[in-house]
Amino acid sequence: MKKLSTLVIAVSLSFAAAAQSSLPPVDQSPMDMSYYPANYPVLKIQDKIMEPLVARVIYSRPKKEGRTIFGGLVEYGKVWRLGANEATEIEFYRKVNIGGKKVSKGRYNKETDTWGSFKYNAEKDIIRTNVLVEKLNDPVESLAMTFEKGGGGINLVIAWENVKVTLPINL
Amino acid sequence: MICYMKMIRQLLLLLAGTVFLFSCKEKEQQPAVKNSLAKDSIQNVDADSSSTPYVIVDVSPMDMSYYPVNYPKLKMAKQISQPPVVRLIYSRPHLQGRELFHDVLKYGEYWRMGANEATEIEFFRDVTIQNKKVKAGRYILYCILGPASWKIALNSNLDSWGLQQDSTKDIQHFDIPVTHGNPSLEYLTMIFAKTNTGAELIIAWDDVVAKLPIDFSN
Repeated sequence: MKKLSTLVIAVSLSFAAAAQSSLPPVDQSPMDMSYYPANYPVLKIQDKIMEPLVARVIYSRPKKEGRTIFGGLVEYGKVWRLGANEATEIEFYRKVNIGGKKVSKGRYNKETDTWGSFKYNAEKDIIRTNVLVEKLNDPVESLAMTFEKGGGGINLVIAWENVKVTLPINL
Repeated sequence: MICYMKMIRQLLLLLAGTVFLFSCKEKEQQPAVKNSLAKDSIQNVDADSSSTPYVIVDVSPMDMSYYPVNYPKLKMAKQISQPPVVRLIYSRPHLQGRELFHDVLKYGEYWRMGANEATEIEFFRDVTIQNKKVKAGRYILYCILGPASWKIALNSNLDSWGLQQDSTKDIQHFDIPVTHGNPSLEYLTMIFAKTNTGAELIIAWDDVVAKLPIDFSN
């Protein structure tokens, strides 16, 4: 809990700093983007697109930096923003099905254009689904998200520390 | 005696062969030079490099700018109720000891105004830029560089990589002035700032600053 409050203080301090200087420094947790099909933009300019655009996730990549992540920095049983800074955002370019529920085309996070999950509003959840957690042998330093081909369509793979979860997205 | 000579010759050949083999192997094992610049061409971009969850963090990290500035934080703090006006997603290359002109950019050439994925701008409402209407929606952004002004292009070729521009998909062009001799910035920096009639997109890198005015009054 102490750790968490320190974190909140650190975050509010950095807000103040960011507000003061108009030119933003490079983020400690840099943003990144993943597509399905993987690397769609590269395939597009190389004329190698084999399947249509399905999804894109935009997220920031915090680093482990020697900390215990799961059960430490990220507490079990609590909402985690799956990223850093701006709330992680997923966009579907077509209708999909997750956990037996239909998800229409569009842009989602817990609430678009917001910051993390500090003001998470469960009423704005579109779906909630449980995913299995797998252990990884090789630890992952920076939070990573990527799409891969899956049984019923595609999977969103999320990996950090020694943990990997797979969210099946059915097409 | 002849037999002995033959043996020595065979031994030498074998030795030479081994040395040759080793030198080949050494060449193979040499780590590939990690040069983000050399990779940076349409043919050399590796489409498979990030198909595992163990993707390394980009040399040119991605970032996001909103207008109103810091919109997501304002939204979280419940200090804002209206929707955002514009959002830019871009990757931030850095100088790494190079000079912007002409080590990185050259006059007369296209510039993707970013790195990696094409820089994307999204207007959440209709706006006016240099007396031209721009409809709400998502566009990619690039420019043609000149010493005193840049031609900014809004283009509809979404979800593409910034190395190749399809100018047949240009929606609008805007010429904007450029100033040199500003305080130097290591990383490409793009932010929005308030103006009397809306906001401007400030594009700053090295000692160069360009501003694209965006008018909100319809």
